[in-house]
Amino acid sequence: MRKLEEPFPPRCDTIEVPFRHMTVPPDSPIKIIACDDKMNTEKIKEYVNGLQDFYFLSAEGLVGIVKKPFYLKDTVEQMDYAGAGSSLIILLVSLFIGMALSLQLSAELSSLGLKMYTGMIVGISVIREIGPVTAALVFAGRVGAGMASELGSMILGHQVDTLRVFGVDPIKKLVTPRIFSSLVMLPSLTIIGDAVSLLGGYYISVFVSHQSSTFYWSSIRDVLTFENVFAGSIKPFIFGYLIACISCHMGLSTRGGALGLRRSTTRAVVVSMIVVIISDFMMTRILLDVLGFSV
Amino acid sequence: MISFDGVRFSYGIKQVLTGVDFSINSHERVAILGESGGGKTTILRLILKLIRPDSGHIIIDGEDITDKTERELSQMRRKFSIVFQEGALFDSLNVKENVAFCLREYTRLSEDEIDSRVRELLRIVGLEEALELMTEELSGGMHRRVAVARSLASSEPKMFLYDEPTSGLDPVNADNICKLILKLSQNGRGFIIVTHKVFDAMKVADRFMFLKDGMIVFDGDREKLVHAPVPEIQLFMAEINPKTEGRTIT
Repeated sequence: MRKLEEPFPPRCDTIEVPFRHMTVPPDSPIKIIACDDKMNTEKIKEYVNGLQDFYFLSAEGLVGIVKKPFYLKDTVEQMDYAGAGSSLIILLVSLFIGMALSLQLSAELSSLGLKMYTGMIVGISVIREIGPVTAALVFAGRVGAGMASELGSMILGHQVDTLRVFGVDPIKKLVTPRIFSSLVMLPSLTIIGDAVSLLGGYYISVFVSHQSSTFYWSSIRDVLTFENVFAGSIKPFIFGYLIACISCHMGLSTRGGALGLRRSTTRAVVVSMIVVIISDFMMTRILLDVLGFSV
Repeated sequence: MISFDGVRFSYGIKQVLTGVDFSINSHERVAILGESGGGKTTILRLILKLIRPDSGHIIIDGEDITDKTERELSQMRRKFSIVFQEGALFDSLNVKENVAFCLREYTRLSEDEIDSRVRELLRIVGLEEALELMTEELSGGMHRRVAVARSLASSEPKMFLYDEPTSGLDPVNADNICKLILKLSQNGRGFIIVTHKVFDAMKVADRFMFLKDGMIVFDGDREKLVHAPVPEIQLFMAEINPKTEGRTIT
């Protein structure tokens, strides 16, 4: 805290303000400087370049899956990190979501005398919507953040530059294994998560709401139609691809030390989550049309 | 061999290089001095075209690399061997795997051959015993030496590029790195060392450049550097002779 006897800094004669469209009286100490145009141009340029880099990275990363050289060891490492490493948290989240959903539905439906439909509604909700989205959000939070921070620290430590100097394509070596692992592991985790959610729903329906176990499973079997399973299975592939591309792009765009790393990691998670939610809505809309459901 | 012609570069709106011109032959031992954040590392990254200049031309062995694609640059980059600040070793790999990285990428050597080549390279840098250590177990000096060994494995470079090789090191380790730099340059391979430690630069280089306000304001030998009429250079020289306190020549 400033002591009272300490002198205040000298007053400036003029204050430079970077806004071109501001008007001030001629004798004002505020002096307008026209630097906003340059800053805006740079920002727009940076944004467009970033978008271009993102599309390039997404396309190259995907094509890399079928193009030599193959980095098998890196891919297996990424699959282990993304799959095995995330399984416990996804199982836990899915279990409690299934239980909460079942509990809530039982309470609401019993007041209408429709408690026997709990299994069916839990089944449809989990398989088509909640399962894929929950798994994707958890995946974005854990794996996406990990990808962004790892690649970001590689950028800051000049490890990516080193790869380029050695003639190794960083997209092929770093991005492709991450995209591939996400494409494989997120759908697998979603299937396991769905199953655990349904088990959680079963526990609540049978042991708390005292419904028939046979009826619960037969309701679930009824909703396991091709349309529902297809709609629930296609989403994790898209989500996995988007999360991996966004996280890798954010990580590889890291600038400015620890603060920049924090910014890119946060941005990777936030953007991934928003994109997952928006793309879920869009896919639901498209799938409903494709599969012939009327709204 | 390396020629910069009016090279400008900026990070966003911050102009780092405002027109850099110089020529360096591959056998020369050059030190680029300047303040931290003054654009020294940017020059090394531009030589390898890891970043693209805003304007100007960079010519390597008579070829303008300014507009070359990443694929076309691969051959050019193999003429150089770069040691980044703090080594830039791959965290997930141990010392052996780091040094063997390029051998595995580009050669069809057997595991035994790779092992003996790695041991040979680590012996050159005096770190044979560190073969199985992970990078987090290495000291700052060991990091740089492993990075040198790795860069030697990548190719037979015409020239070495060192980015602040002695920064953050104690005098003993810094001296070891300087000796290693000199040892590697004995067979006519030159180097460019980028540093703000003039004491270390004086130990290894014959030609000195000083970067100020994004431009090369001094280019000369040791004798000229000592008497250069640039106040900032004299501040740097105070590191060697503290009595001058950077005020002998103004």
